[in-house]
Amino acid sequence: MNDTQTDTLSGYNKSSEGKILLKAESLERKFGGLTAVADFSFELHEGEILGLIGPNGAGKSTTFNLISGFIPPTSGTLSFLDQNITSKSATYISRMGLIRTFQHESLLSEMSVADNIIIATTHRLKTAAARQEKMREMAKLTGLEDYLKVTASSLPHGLQRMLSIAIALAAEPKVLCLDEPLTGLQGSEVKAALDLFEMIRSELGITILLVEHNMRAVMRICDRILVLNHGRLLAAGTPEEVSQNDLVIEAYLGHKK
Amino acid sequence: MLKSNPGLALCILIAIGAICFALFSGDPYYVQVVIWVFANAALAVTLRFVLLIGELNIATAAFFGIGAYTTAVASTILGWPFFISLLAAPVIAGVISSLFGWITLRTKGPYFLLISFAFTEIVRLIYTKTEALGGNSGMIGMFPPMELDAYFPAIAISILAAILFGLYAAERSNLGRVFKAIKNNEDIPRSVGLNVIGLKILCLVIASTAVGLVGGVHAYTNSVIAPADFTYFVAVLALAYVKIGGEGHIVGPIIGATILTLAGQFLHSFGPYENIFYGAIIIGALLLVPGGIVGLGVRFKAGTLMGRAGR
Ligand SMILES: Nc1ncnc2c1ncn2[C@@H]1O[C@H](COP(=O)(O)OP(=O)(O)OP(=O)(O)O)[C@@H](O)[C@H]1O
Ligand SMILES: [Mg+2]
Repeated sequence: MNDTQTDTLSGYNKSSEGKILLKAESLERKFGGLTAVADFSFELHEGEILGLIGPNGAGKSTTFNLISGFIPPTSGTLSFLDQNITSKSATYISRMGLIRTFQHESLLSEMSVADNIIIATTHRLKTAAARQEKMREMAKLTGLEDYLKVTASSLPHGLQRMLSIAIALAAEPKVLCLDEPLTGLQGSEVKAALDLFEMIRSELGITILLVEHNMRAVMRICDRILVLNHGRLLAAGTPEEVSQNDLVIEAYLGHKK
Repeated sequence: MLKSNPGLALCILIAIGAICFALFSGDPYYVQVVIWVFANAALAVTLRFVLLIGELNIATAAFFGIGAYTTAVASTILGWPFFISLLAAPVIAGVISSLFGWITLRTKGPYFLLISFAFTEIVRLIYTKTEALGGNSGMIGMFPPMELDAYFPAIAISILAAILFGLYAAERSNLGRVFKAIKNNEDIPRSVGLNVIGLKILCLVIASTAVGLVGGVHAYTNSVIAPADFTYFVAVLALAYVKIGGEGHIVGPIIGATILTLAGQFLHSFGPYENIFYGAIIIGALLLVPGGIVGLGVRFKAGTLMGRAGR
């Protein structure tokens, strides 16, 4: 391992170090009269864990839908790996290596754990043996190796969350976008998940964009945080900067300190 | 492979038995019934194949008809040889279905169902209005060559059985898994780099190619075809086979087609009331045995096992 990677493991302040993987410029999305995302610009740097937070309805999941190509922006541009992806399909963008998870209905609920993961290997791996091997590897990583034959919907909630991450990882992302992966997890599960995210970043070399309501977790794990409110960027900076920002506190608590 | 799959081995034995029966039985009526059973099973299995991606494809009937008319045109108007005329059916059905799928599979559920229904009726109207295709009275004179005549029933059954085994293999492959994933939640395959629309079209094309070949076999089996043979009702019957037998496994529609085809031989005497019977069977099956006969078997097995372990 080289020095930069050791750096990544220890404390770091990489806010603008790695090269830009994903760049959004003046992103906007309207649903009829409602503007879900407005004039939102940000950059995601290689190797970082970037948090995206904001109150309910702030536009976080919509932002995920935009950058992953599930819905087109009303205006603005997106580029990924120096390529303009503004009007590209979800299939195209995920093949490039930007993989997102879903806040709701994030699994193939009627299929087995093994099948859930194998589906995600299908595009990259062409032989059954290679897919099986990758599936086992991802199941092991996420603690699912003893549940391969279990139907996804009958897994305990915490493991369902892990399965959605295993699916995303099996698709071999360069950028992993996680939509509230910690919702409903117990204390020990949260800790295990955060360790997994660290491992994904440092050992697998995957850059992470994290939407999460669990503030303690976000503050602990993110290098930088973007705060959305009513679809607009309210603040951006390190966890300390953001947590002391008056506008952010007001948005969350509804009043000033 | 067969050792680990006794069910498949049994099915292969049944198919071989049916082919031998066609070769050596003296009674053409019973041989005809066996061909009908296989043809209806193939119709039901192709309908179910598109159900794998969650779509009820009434146009199964249309592509069945397109296959039959293709073979009829190739053999009677163009004078093509037997096997070429037969093979033209799946090719044309496949090509037209890829176009049909490309345009329509962006819709789903009730929308796709209605479009596939409309398509079926439009295609049928085209037959009735086209003089070259015999209009309302259809086409006549599709005969296998003299030297093959004695073997034709065995050939027909072999082809139909091959379709069943082929679709079974397709479902068991990774492609089948992907189709089921699309039905379950298509956002997931899309989010991991799969081209969901393209895969849906592929599923439809595979099924339509298969059912086109069934249509080709039908043209030679019947020697006469007419537009009225290819209404949406063909798909409704196929759906009845699927629902009676059970949708969960490919043998479901095969069992359903077998039972209803054999029962149909007695019901012909009811004349127009026959259809009421089929309607009643679909409703009854949906209400009383949602998983069909196959589902009943699975439940029975699970029930006895639970009985032993628990209460
Ligand atoms: N497909 C849609 N059609 C109409 N309105 C939508 C659609 N998707 C999102 N919205 C609206 O856009 C706004 C932003 O929603 P979004 O799901 O992005 O919020 P969020 O930040 O992810 O919230 P949460 O924390 O509750 O998940 C909401 O007002 C929502 O109702
Ligand atoms: Mg959300």
